[in-house]
Amino acid sequence: MKLRDIAIRAGRSLKQAKARTLLTSLAIGVGAFTITLSLAAGVGGRSYTDQIVNANTNVKELSVTKKAPASQQGPQKYTGGVAVSSNSFYSGQYLTQDDINKIQKLDGVVSVSPNYSPQIKYITRLDQEKYVATISTFSPSVTLKFAAGSVNGDLTDNEIILTEEYVTALGFSSNADAVGKTVDIVADKLSSPVTAPESNSFVYTVKGVSSKSGLAFRAQSSLLISNASAKTLYDYINLGTRGYGNYLVASVETASASQATKVKDDLTSMGYLAQTAADILGVVNTFINVLQGILLGFGALAVLTSVFGIINTQYISVLERTQQIGLMKALGMRRRDVGRLFKLEAAWIGLLGGSIGTGLAVILGTIANPIISKALDIGDVSLIVFTPMNIAIVIIGLVVVSVSSGILPARKAAKLNPIEALRTE
Amino acid sequence: MIEVKKISKTYGKGDNAFRVLKNINFTIPDGASVAILGKSGSGKSTLMHVMSGLDRPDSGEIIIDGKDILKLSQKDVDKFRSTKMSFIFQSFFVQANESCYDNVSLPLEIAGVSTSRRRSKIEAALTAVDLADKIKSRARDLSGGQKQRLAVARAIVNSPQILFADEPTGNLDSVTGGKVESLLFNYNKKNKITLIVVTHDPELAARCDIQIHIKDGKIDSIKEMKK
Repeated sequence: MKLRDIAIRAGRSLKQAKARTLLTSLAIGVGAFTITLSLAAGVGGRSYTDQIVNANTNVKELSVTKKAPASQQGPQKYTGGVAVSSNSFYSGQYLTQDDINKIQKLDGVVSVSPNYSPQIKYITRLDQEKYVATISTFSPSVTLKFAAGSVNGDLTDNEIILTEEYVTALGFSSNADAVGKTVDIVADKLSSPVTAPESNSFVYTVKGVSSKSGLAFRAQSSLLISNASAKTLYDYINLGTRGYGNYLVASVETASASQATKVKDDLTSMGYLAQTAADILGVVNTFINVLQGILLGFGALAVLTSVFGIINTQYISVLERTQQIGLMKALGMRRRDVGRLFKLEAAWIGLLGGSIGTGLAVILGTIANPIISKALDIGDVSLIVFTPMNIAIVIIGLVVVSVSSGILPARKAAKLNPIEALRTE
Repeated sequence: MIEVKKISKTYGKGDNAFRVLKNINFTIPDGASVAILGKSGSGKSTLMHVMSGLDRPDSGEIIIDGKDILKLSQKDVDKFRSTKMSFIFQSFFVQANESCYDNVSLPLEIAGVSTSRRRSKIEAALTAVDLADKIKSRARDLSGGQKQRLAVARAIVNSPQILFADEPTGNLDSVTGGKVESLLFNYNKKNKITLIVVTHDPELAARCDIQIHIKDGKIDSIKEMKK
């Protein structure tokens, strides 16, 4: 018997038990739905983090901190230096100017800049309210989305990039209106005596306005100034205090991506914790992979359940059609072909269930995608990405699973004794 | 020519063993119509199953066209049945959910006849049993007599050499049964195929060339009817 004829007969007998076929397929469909969505979320999530990390990091750059002590249990011994810790069970240490100098001397290091995060008092401008703000260092390698203005290369001294919220708060009529205008940043000198507090106002020219982007880490709330400006502010605020010259993180720029890996190894052996862009991506992706794995597990569980459904349905089908099987065998149909008939029926069920499940997943994912992106406020980034490859793998995989679940009932059908079968009345 | 030689068959084992066929011997010439007669439980159905290769006897030979079909592999026996034999059963065994076309198509599909050559054969078979107008009807919508005619169409569609009929009129009234009988005997005479009818109906047996009476698993008598 030709495979095509068997497939047609298999399809026809399924059509005659529509409700049963549909219900059995739906069980697989649930698995297909979950697996397809989790794969799509994995692809979307990874590509999203990939974009974020690429937009916010530089492959030539390393982020360096002091290595935390290996053992973190129980009270930590005092090892000298200034501890970051606020409790006795965790002890990390700041980088000092000595560390910076040491790192600077390493082969392949182009520059080392501590991440100054000057704690300013407020930002304001003439005749406007005062607002607190976080100041960060601008890096040319980090992608920014500008609502107005732009930056070529690095910022120069006394230039600032505002966010859209501050533009409104500081009373500019529009984003474009803010560009070229000045703002005042007021900072306290921490070392000044309590009785005679000293503060100073720094004037910055607005170079651009960054808009919210689904890909930006910090542009959402921080105001950006150049590294040199940040140092000026930092020095004014902290000079003379005990914390001066202690940094949590330093950025190390190397000559190339391969140098970055080499410098990372050197720093690690010197007792620093260094992370490349790839490391950061890896950490985030591990998280996504774990989540995806959990979802996939649920999908696999649903598929496992549906396997028993298929076996059950097909066994009943064999029992119901004992006569038909007997007749076919009496007419000379080979055992192999009888087995194939039932395996192909299972394959049709798998194909139907897989198509229904993936189809619903694609429809739902496509509808939900903009809603999710909006809810998470990440702009036009897609978190659910369906690839034809993944969908094909899911459907083909489920057909294979269905056929395997159909093996036992198919064997029963193939083994049926035609005389016994035809005696059934 | 079909030669049945020293066929014995036992069901069960030990104390429960029941010898259903005991040393059966006979020969059927090509194109003959044969009635195998006997009471219920006499072993006539088992004999038919053995002759068609559906069942295996404990000993003996079934030689069809010089070949012992009991020595063939399962695959070759299946092929033999799909190309040279066909069956008609007392309770029709037509597929109620399928159209007449698909019912008749089954033996052709099993025999691997190409799609393009099937239609004309199916139409010819349905015309021969006077069901040409029912080609698209579902089998469940047919009357009992029509169902058995459909079964006849299914049996003759692939031009078999041997047609086995197990109580073909057992579930039909005399008028419709007579119609089916005529179909079978006309087909037997016209196409020179061997018709083997298992029955306990003496009237049906009377229309056959040879009557083989089976009693308690043994041949009671073989009568050749002169016509």
